[in-house]
Amino acid sequence: MSSPAISVPHGHDNDHGHGHDDGHHGHIHLQYQPSLPLSRGKLIMWLFLSTEIMFFAALLGSYVVLRFGAAVWPKPHHVHLSEPLGAFNTFVLICSSVTIVLAFEATKVNKASLARLWMIATLVLGSLFLGIKGYEYQAKFSHGIFPWAPHGLIHERPDLYYGSAVRARLGEPAIIDRLKTLDETPAENLPAEQRAARSALQDVRRMLSDTNQQAFEMAVVADQIAPLPAEGPSGHGGGHAHGINDAFPWLRLPIVIPGGNMWASTYFLLTGFHAIHVIVGLIVFAVLLTFKLGSARAGMVENAGLYWHFVDLVWIFLFPVMYLF
Amino acid sequence: MSDHTSSHDPAGHGDPAGHGDHAHGGLGKYLVVFAVLCFLTTMSFFTYSAAWPWRDQPQVGWAFMMAVSCMKALLVVLFFMHVWWEANWKYVLTIPAAMMAVFLVIMLVPDIGMRNRMVSQERALHMARPADLLLLEKAADAGRVDPAAH
Repeated sequence: MSSPAISVPHGHDNDHGHGHDDGHHGHIHLQYQPSLPLSRGKLIMWLFLSTEIMFFAALLGSYVVLRFGAAVWPKPHHVHLSEPLGAFNTFVLICSSVTIVLAFEATKVNKASLARLWMIATLVLGSLFLGIKGYEYQAKFSHGIFPWAPHGLIHERPDLYYGSAVRARLGEPAIIDRLKTLDETPAENLPAEQRAARSALQDVRRMLSDTNQQAFEMAVVADQIAPLPAEGPSGHGGGHAHGINDAFPWLRLPIVIPGGNMWASTYFLLTGFHAIHVIVGLIVFAVLLTFKLGSARAGMVENAGLYWHFVDLVWIFLFPVMYLF
Repeated sequence: MSDHTSSHDPAGHGDPAGHGDHAHGGLGKYLVVFAVLCFLTTMSFFTYSAAWPWRDQPQVGWAFMMAVSCMKALLVVLFFMHVWWEANWKYVLTIPAAMMAVFLVIMLVPDIGMRNRMVSQERALHMARPADLLLLEKAADAGRVDPAAH
């Protein structure tokens, strides 16, 4: 790799004599020119990153195309997205980008312990990001928003199919038993919220047994079970209305979020793939921390940093597209 | 490549043009980029706040956020990923990848973006429509006005 392409007759042999004052006597000063001015590791990392660009461009592009092609798409507050949390996560990832770049700078000047500190900071920030993401996932799961069928409770429309799904859930043996105990509980033994929810539930059961159901009644049922939160600047808290499902989490009655199923599929796919990339990055940092991060490891740290910046980059697009569109 | 090689790159990591590590990087530059990134994040979050003047025209917000995101991405790529200081190979990798990404999205439009232009009657029956959202909002309003009605 390091042999020069052109050999010059009076080049190397008599070089020692006046090597230090090069140029003076008309010597041809040889300069090594590799085919690409970057190391193999970095070249491979950039090739990998360009495939990653296309991977995430496909995911993000599909999301945008699906979203704007849909007749109805849920608003962020309909699906319990917390914009402040998303913005905070953006901030966390930007901070981690700074710390990894500082780790690389420290590695280059052979300050191994400083590099180690910055890398630990990156690891902590990445874990914080994942923790917040996990908390957000939990908030979706607790509202019955899942990307897969047996757990997901989302129905697209408040129609008769929805009504029969609610009826079917209320008719399950285990639920019948618990409803019976709930009905027999004296009102003063229940907290105020559950007392109100219980009477709402009785209304819902009466409406569902009505043979002459109207579309509007199904919408009322859906609103009683899990109202779509109204928009509020405080996001999760402010506009959050409580329905029967919130008062009795064991009920897990079907809910209505128009466009919610496609939203859940894309949301969990995109943020899930991003989270996998974050996890891989954290593993890489953990492995790197077992080395002495002196200048000998500068190439490794640089490549890990390039990957991590890419993960940050994806989130920079995911955040507005997912949380603010 | 002559005198400052010894300080780093023992494995012969090519930076033959002596890309001058002292010329780029540096804490100050990174902190400036960091501050700008934080400012831009606040700007895209601003579209969500009540002070955003175009709340009734979401398209303005979308365009604004995409512009902000592109600027942030550019800053990260140029400075944190050091692309600003790289040789011309950077164009070989990034431009084709970016073009492919755009083509990919364009290719998705006819089949997926316009999928609702022609759907079967049966599918339309089970598809959420804007009317469903209105119905739910009406039901919520009815519940709010008179909570003891039912």
